[in-house]
Amino acid sequence: MSAIFVQNLRKSYGPLVAVDGISFEVQPGECFGLLGPNGAGKSTAINCIVGALRPDQGEIKIHGEADPTQPAVRAKIGVAPQPIALYGDLTAEENLRFFGTLYGLADGKLRERIEMALEFSGLAARRKDRVHTYSSGMQRRLNLVCGILHDPPVILLDEPTVGVDPQSRNLIFDNIEALKRLGRTIVYTTHYMEEAQRLCDRVAIIDQGKILALDTVSSLLREYGGTPTVEVEFAARPSGLEDLGGEWEGNRLRVRTERPLETLARVAGHGDAFQQVRIERADLEAVFLRLTGKKLRD
Amino acid sequence: MRAILTIALKDLRLLARDKGGFFWVLGWPFLMALFFGFIFSGGNDDRAAMPIAIVDMDQSDFSRAFTAQLEKSAALHASAAPLDSARLLVRQGKRAAYVALWPGAGRSFGFGGGDSAGIELGLDPSRRAEAGYLEGLVTQAIFTTMQAEFRPGGTGRTQIQSSLASVRADTSLSASEQARYTNLLTNLERFMSSLDSTKGGAAEGSGAATSDTQASGPNIKIVEVAEDESGPRSAFEFTFPASVMWALIGVCMSFAISIVDERLRGTFLRLRLAPISRSQVLAGKGLAAFVASVGATSFLLLFAAVVFKVRVTNAPALAAAVLAASFCFVGLMMLIAVLGRTHQSVAGAGWAILLVMSMTGGGMVPLIAMPPWMQAVSNFSLVKWGVLGVEGAIWRGFSWAEMALPLGILVGVGAIAFTAGTAILARSET
Repeated sequence: MSAIFVQNLRKSYGPLVAVDGISFEVQPGECFGLLGPNGAGKSTAINCIVGALRPDQGEIKIHGEADPTQPAVRAKIGVAPQPIALYGDLTAEENLRFFGTLYGLADGKLRERIEMALEFSGLAARRKDRVHTYSSGMQRRLNLVCGILHDPPVILLDEPTVGVDPQSRNLIFDNIEALKRLGRTIVYTTHYMEEAQRLCDRVAIIDQGKILALDTVSSLLREYGGTPTVEVEFAARPSGLEDLGGEWEGNRLRVRTERPLETLARVAGHGDAFQQVRIERADLEAVFLRLTGKKLRD
Repeated sequence: MRAILTIALKDLRLLARDKGGFFWVLGWPFLMALFFGFIFSGGNDDRAAMPIAIVDMDQSDFSRAFTAQLEKSAALHASAAPLDSARLLVRQGKRAAYVALWPGAGRSFGFGGGDSAGIELGLDPSRRAEAGYLEGLVTQAIFTTMQAEFRPGGTGRTQIQSSLASVRADTSLSASEQARYTNLLTNLERFMSSLDSTKGGAAEGSGAATSDTQASGPNIKIVEVAEDESGPRSAFEFTFPASVMWALIGVCMSFAISIVDERLRGTFLRLRLAPISRSQVLAGKGLAAFVASVGATSFLLLFAAVVFKVRVTNAPALAAAVLAASFCFVGLMMLIAVLGRTHQSVAGAGWAILLVMSMTGGGMVPLIAMPPWMQAVSNFSLVKWGVLGVEGAIWRGFSWAEMALPLGILVGVGAIAFTAGTAILARSET
């Protein structure tokens, strides 16, 4: 049984179709990415999955249960919403205690989970400080742990690294990788292709409410990423490399090849001095460009 | 229930930490009540002294000296008035009591007897505690006056000598009677003279004299003057009900804006994603606003009762009025919270509605001071029904039947507004 089952989900706001018939399944323990630009429909899809929005049509199941608005189903879901959904005038500990209590935690279990969350997010030393005094990275980390305080098997993270410094971003990545190791099912929305590439087992590329492609990262790269390119800049344009094909631009040669290392060995064996070598491999940005004709951050 | 209480406690904690919000809930209404209370009452109330009227119908040396004694007392704020006026002032609650000296009171030094009338103390039956205190002050003034009168040159000594001369000259008395009275008055005169020669006798003797004389005591007649309950006793009796409405408006706006804030921040979404129902979330919000409303209004009314002696003629009715008004404004809060999606739109709409309600409903101009046309307009203001409910229990002396209308309107409109607000919120969120 899939952890999350979404079939033909559709949601519109008046004439604007935010989510247009998307379908996917997420297996238990999988980290599933929804990659798309701002306004692609990622957050709307997440809000429909967790029952915050009522879809116009479609079917959603969480661990086989059809109604995500039921308290029993919600207890299995942890959400870190895109906005920093915290009370700035409360301390980190007070925020955690508040949300933990709403999720039914109490007494020793609540204290234990609060300690875990503070350690997990690296905020134990600032536990008594009001949240409005935190950096945005610290707030993001707290936003994440408030969503997983009740130790849910399914976690939905909506753009959890927006606006954070590199240090906090790495801490968040470490947190998510730790959750993966614990076997949690994660749905991760982002418009940063590096994040999807690093964290996700499978990625759905979404734009204008539709899923354009869905597969493992390597399969997507293979299918839509195009051929790797070897770029070599020589001190002077050599002769004897015409059979490699490619394009010359002054002293710079660009060769598209399925075997970039062999091409590079051939260039190196030619004996001519070169100043710069680069192998360009396809990434999800290229996949997105190929699929939509525009860049992710457009 | 645990979830509702958790949400309510969180909101109350946030309110307590929001100094600005807290000011509008409690500080502003408090300042309004004090400011307008002092303005309407002329700002010259001496609250430490008991205000009394003195009626001197005797016009004797004793009565003048006695009046001066009372006027000197720091515990009293005494002013002269004719008897009818004095009784009216007490009935209106503008004076705590009146002290009247009937003609001839001076001849008996306030002790009465024979054809001499004593001293009359008129006060409201509900002021029994103050009656004892005032009687004590009057008695003290009588003895202090007497003590002065019997010093050399005082009217008391003159009166003894005058009586002695009258007895000697009275031919209607038999010789034995004449001798007996002459002997008594001569001995009395000698006794007074011997007191004068005793060092410190005047001051130290007063306590003993008071004690002895109190065995019989001055003739003070207590007259009950039922206070007329048809109007406010002081300006604070209508400025504090208005301030209660300002407190409710402050709570209403603070919580309405907090709901918008939660929606914008995403905390409302997080609340809705918790394994609790939407109605529990909203009930938690409503409970927090209700507790804040009841707390703020109770504090204001308690302060008014203790410090400004604002009456509570019907405590259960006052509690019902506070609860009904709080409920009404919690309902309004929910409706105002969904009138916009930003702070600006909700604050703009909310203050526009509530300020108009306050202006027309007695939040600024007291209801009793409104012209008839404005009183008619005020029927459309919930502030008016709130003020009326509170005033009904404070000084208007409403029966439960009279309280039913304002209470019913407050609860009814509150329920409709709360239902409409939650329905709009539910629709806009999904």
